[in-house]
Amino acid sequence: MRFFRQVGVIAAKDLRAELRTKEAINSSLAFALVILLMFSFAFDPLADTTREISGGLLWIVFAFAGTLVLNRSFARELPNDCLDGLIAAPLSGAALFLGKACASFLLVLGVQLVSLPVFGIFYNVPWTRQFPELLLVMVLGTWGLTVVGTISSALTVNIRLRELMLPMLTYPILFPALLGAMQLTATLVAGNPIGPDDAGWLKMMVGFDVIYTAVSLALVETILVA
Amino acid sequence: MRGQVLCYIPFGATAALAALAALIASIVFLRTRNFRFDALARAATETALVFLAGAIADGCFVLHSALGKWWTWDPRLTAALVCWLLFATCLMLRQAVEEPSRRAAFAAVWTVFASLDVPLVVATAAWWKPGVALPVVWTWPRFALLAVSAILAALLTVVRARRPAASHPEGAG
Repeated sequence: MRFFRQVGVIAAKDLRAELRTKEAINSSLAFALVILLMFSFAFDPLADTTREISGGLLWIVFAFAGTLVLNRSFARELPNDCLDGLIAAPLSGAALFLGKACASFLLVLGVQLVSLPVFGIFYNVPWTRQFPELLLVMVLGTWGLTVVGTISSALTVNIRLRELMLPMLTYPILFPALLGAMQLTATLVAGNPIGPDDAGWLKMMVGFDVIYTAVSLALVETILVA
Repeated sequence: MRGQVLCYIPFGATAALAALAALIASIVFLRTRNFRFDALARAATETALVFLAGAIADGCFVLHSALGKWWTWDPRLTAALVCWLLFATCLMLRQAVEEPSRRAAFAAVWTVFASLDVPLVVATAAWWKPGVALPVVWTWPRFALLAVSAILAALLTVVRARRPAASHPEGAG
């Protein structure tokens, strides 16, 4: 119980700090809009073929915009040696990690929920038809992105080329989760239900999330005290 | 297909063995904090990258003769490429961290992360694009090639592991 209270405190602290400065979500939202605009130059945004690849496009936007939020997750604690304070504080590394992951998850999901309607309008994609299923896919994919991104953020916070290393570390690991999210999103925005074939992707995403959450919780202490 | 060497199977198997060695060495390092195992993990990762690159290159040649394209998103090629990138990030992380004990710990943690991803990547790639059926029969020449490449890989790993860790490469620090 104490563990979850600590997680809540860290998550609330991160969310409060972010909502006061808005440095990560503003840049992330602006970046998402810029990428959405760039895609429309690359191919005809209203063509039917675009709708077939819209799942992939959407998740590229989500992954790129998400790393901007995740970059700040631990880097936010660098000024005034806040990170040392957090590590010295009487809470486990796992609680710190989970709190930060929860805060980033809500922020990334918020950015996604804002950019999704914009995407729907720009590319004429009917995303509202199966919104609950789409939300499930977004939650699963975003949790995978946040867990791997938060652990990368902890790894890269003190090293050279921090902003460059985080996406380099995160995207290859995310290959299974992102591919699953892209396939399922493409199916859903095309108006098709999640069939038996797609259920495999769903299971794979759940498995990915469970595996990486467990391993991150187990290994984050090693990273923080190293 | 006759007359083709099909090195990609032995090379890929050798790379998998080297990656397994890197994973075990990383776990042992995290347990014991003995820097010999860190050096071993680094060397095994490098070996895995070399042999996986060989497997990818040969896979390209084989598919080129079968399909006439240098790159197809065949599940084996895709999985090999993603795994190659995964292990390359382990080396990149090593290069970016300056302090030796932190570098070793970070690289070990990341090797565990990357290794856990390998089965998922292979399964995902197979689901994503069904591939062209290629013969995966274990013939005697292939066993011999596997033995040769495994011995080469072991030698390479041992030689590289004995090399003192470059603490501050010139110009990169």
